[in-house]
Amino acid sequence: MHIEVLLIEDSPGDVRLTQEVFRDANPSIRLHVACDGLEAMAFLKHEGSQAKAPRPDFILLDLNLPKMDGREVLACIKKDESLKTIPAIVLTTSHAEADILKSYQLQANCYLTKPVQLDEFENVVKSINDFWLKKAKIPQQV
Amino acid sequence: MKSTGAPLSVEASASARKAADRHLAWMEGGYHGLLEAAPDAMVVVDRSGVIVLLNAQAETQFGYRRDELLGQPVTRIIPAGFAERLIADDLRSASEALAQQIGTGIELTGRRKDDSEFPIEIMLSPLETAQGILVIAAIRNISARKAAEQTLMDMVSELNRSNEELSQFAYIASHDLQEPLRMVASYTQLLSKRYKGKLDADADEFIAFAVDGANRMQRLIHDLLAYSYVGTKGKDLVIVSSEEALGEALRNLQVAIQESGAVVTHGVLPNVLADAGQLTALFQNLVGNAIKYTNKENPVIKISACPDVDSKWRFSVQDNGLGIDEKYFKIIFSMFQRLHKRDEFAGTGIGLAICKKIVERHGGAIWVESQPGYGSTFHFTLPATA
Repeated sequence: MHIEVLLIEDSPGDVRLTQEVFRDANPSIRLHVACDGLEAMAFLKHEGSQAKAPRPDFILLDLNLPKMDGREVLACIKKDESLKTIPAIVLTTSHAEADILKSYQLQANCYLTKPVQLDEFENVVKSINDFWLKKAKIPQQV
Repeated sequence: MKSTGAPLSVEASASARKAADRHLAWMEGGYHGLLEAAPDAMVVVDRSGVIVLLNAQAETQFGYRRDELLGQPVTRIIPAGFAERLIADDLRSASEALAQQIGTGIELTGRRKDDSEFPIEIMLSPLETAQGILVIAAIRNISARKAAEQTLMDMVSELNRSNEELSQFAYIASHDLQEPLRMVASYTQLLSKRYKGKLDADADEFIAFAVDGANRMQRLIHDLLAYSYVGTKGKDLVIVSSEEALGEALRNLQVAIQESGAVVTHGVLPNVLADAGQLTALFQNLVGNAIKYTNKENPVIKISACPDVDSKWRFSVQDNGLGIDEKYFKIIFSMFQRLHKRDEFAGTGIGLAICKKIVERHGGAIWVESQPGYGSTFHFTLPATA
């Protein structure tokens, strides 16, 4: 049984790093990547070439994205009756109080910052895996 | 006085002239010479704002001949701010006016015959005469002073702007450097983790240097940000217990204190005007250094405070560590200055620069007294509570 995770992230270095660290943490995770907000919404709404995209169990998103930024994506997800139940976690480099506040106002399920050190990032991913993907009970498809 | 340029009616002008003549006659009894000898332009006006007397300096200053100004409204040479004052003075008695106006310099604008304007300072003194109250105005051209003031203000604002720009630069540089550095650090660490011992000895060594370099750069950027935060993210100075701030610093240093076996003692410490977070950082840096730069089994560190001049407290952090040679007393407070090789003592050399910036932001000073081999005492001053 695969766990489907949608990663919304535009930096290739971060995408690859997240893939590597998630693979080490839990091999049954299937990480899907959207490089901007529009791609992410197409994936979530099964539009165009994404018609067969699976419904993610979990969404990880960066705040600063091209075309449609992370805050807008978050707002769209949390306004959508079907998508709003998917845990959406902000994973960003921003430590700004305004970004943290805005994210929770938009109903982000959690706000995490990208640590500078690899081992700390591994710990963050391990925590996500242990808590959100293993311990937390989340509703199945609605 | 409404119109500034129009001459008075013939009768009014004639009567003013008459009054002036009478007054001049009275002045001739000794005062006239005094008026002419004054270093400033002197203009005497009556209560309706008509010029009744002036000296040669006034002629030169405003570019008129004496007879061109006598009987004319004072607004001709001082368009605004003077005549209004005379009218307001109608409401006051002569003695009140006298009390209020003597010695008060008012900055206004003077206008010459050719319509050019220049900044003036005038001093008013009411004079009771048989003809009623007259007002003597001593008028000084303050163009040079104004120009100097403007130059000074321009320099101050330029200095502020460049300081602001510098602190923005430090913040943006260190903040934006973190992104690419995170990539370098993460991937070299990933390389090291995945491939250590799987390539050859050279590869392991190269990767180790890359990882170490990235780590050091991260510490530098972290410290540079901390340094720039002292100015940009500082809080207002409020009444703070320095003893509590020290307590917080010692809690943060708990592990280092335990590992070193250091004995840290302090007496009663006062309340001061400070940013609590920065005061904690200050103690933490100084006590942390005292623990770090030692060759003793059990470093002993004493913190004390005593009243200093100018409503300040002088704090002292004394250790029995390595001590510092006098020639380094100043340089240790500069950014990225280290007295030791990296493998002797870790650190970026920014701690004391941060201390200096914190103390100076509080209007205090920081310095060190030391003798190599006999420990060091760092002193700093902070404002006392009012």
